[in-house]
Amino acid sequence: MTSLPPPSDGDRPPAVDTHDDPAIDSRIEPVVDPIIDTRNERLGDGVNRCPQCGATDIQLRPSAGLLICLFCRHEWSEARLDETIANGDLDSLRGTTIGSGASDIDTGADSLITMKCAGCGAEVVVNIAEQMGARCHWCRHVLTINEQVPNGAVPDAVLAFKITHDDATAKIREFAGKRRLFADRAFVRGFKAENVVGVYMPYMVVDGNASADVTGHGEVETRQYSRGSGNNKETYYDADVYEVQRHVDFTVDDLTIESSAERADMNTSINTNNIINTILPFDTENAVKWNASYLTGFTSEKRDQDVAHLQPELEDQLLSIARSRVTSSVERYDRGVRWERERLDVHGTRWVSMYLPVWLYSHQQEGGKRMVHYIAVNGRTGEVMGSVPVSHARLLVGALTVGTFLEGIAIAILVAS
Amino acid sequence: MIAILLNEVASTVAAEADGGDLSWLLALGPAGAGAVYAGLWRYYRNTHASHSFEQETRIEAQPATGSDAKVDEIKGTKKSNIDGDNRANHRQRVQRFD
Repeated sequence: MTSLPPPSDGDRPPAVDTHDDPAIDSRIEPVVDPIIDTRNERLGDGVNRCPQCGATDIQLRPSAGLLICLFCRHEWSEARLDETIANGDLDSLRGTTIGSGASDIDTGADSLITMKCAGCGAEVVVNIAEQMGARCHWCRHVLTINEQVPNGAVPDAVLAFKITHDDATAKIREFAGKRRLFADRAFVRGFKAENVVGVYMPYMVVDGNASADVTGHGEVETRQYSRGSGNNKETYYDADVYEVQRHVDFTVDDLTIESSAERADMNTSINTNNIINTILPFDTENAVKWNASYLTGFTSEKRDQDVAHLQPELEDQLLSIARSRVTSSVERYDRGVRWERERLDVHGTRWVSMYLPVWLYSHQQEGGKRMVHYIAVNGRTGEVMGSVPVSHARLLVGALTVGTFLEGIAIAILVAS
Repeated sequence: MIAILLNEVASTVAAEADGGDLSWLLALGPAGAGAVYAGLWRYYRNTHASHSFEQETRIEAQPATGSDAKVDEIKGTKKSNIDGDNRANHRQRVQRFD
């Protein structure tokens, strides 16, 4: 028999409600400008020159995370975004502040940009729906898009690849190698880890200042006892029921949310986008101001979601965070807690759009749903996650083998007894 | 997994060896096969995986405040836990209120 005491009053934190306190709001300076200008004023559309020799053949060297001039080998980096904008204290964050690269997408914005080559004067057309730069077909200068066009293609910041293609290939090979035996045979036959591609995926990185309230019921076991005997013996419980209310104030720094509608769809019965989501988080505090040269040699996916579209997902994640934060305060309810109602007050948010680096290996499964299976590697931390299509026939044989073995043991025990 | 299962079975069998009904042992094969199938499928497909933003985001939270008021007593229930326990299921949304 177990008998537990009720929660003691001395353990409980004082019931202080601060979220409606006008004194707090009066201390907060109102947001003056809801738009943070994140344009890289050092760069314009067109020729992006090496600051040392003036050459335009520039690309990322992932092992160093730096841009490198392919002519003079000079290496440099754009300034970190966090150093160039006023972040302020998250506790004082009020209203909605948006980076200029995270502004609403203008669906009518032309995706064809005409740039005048600063090398020879020729006019070069770039389709920014597909690429962020082009080589002048006359003088071979590299022209890049650096100005923030309102179509979601140019973010506030970019986090450069740090994991090299070779490292990503090795990680994907190791991940898939552990899952060969029961994998779909077409996947095994066609597997070539070298086919991994580097993709800059679009995300919104959000700072937030919020409060949440949750209410529900919790139960504390007061007695445990048995009734009956032999095979009819059953355990019974007595418990005290409590109405539980909790309030928590919190800030989040760099919460990362998918800003492509297709990637944000995490229905695992029809896609494997959850794999790409799983390799989060990134060290977003090291993201730098936009420079299209970081994308040279990589592909990118355009943002198609505005802040308003992502607000419900943000609120959902903030509520989940709030619920996780109050868990330690209800541990005394040993029979559990059933949260029934919840409330969220978002005092302030700051949104910045970013391209984050992902190494992606994809395999389209034949037949059935023709689902695309991804193995993804975080381009900064090297965290790997994947979905490997299974051979149901092999899986069935494996399961039946184990089942038969266990059944044999069971029959042997029954015969012996 | 199989070793744990066998260990559990062995201790239960030992406890009931004094004449109890052991016919439930016949369910061991189908249950084991089902568990192996589901476990391997999960290991390959990772449909349960997602970013643990609750733990992996930089969060600064004040200590939770609130109240606890006893409202009822339960006597003689067979249930070992509260109905609808969602204390650890942070992502299950419940009714929003203003």
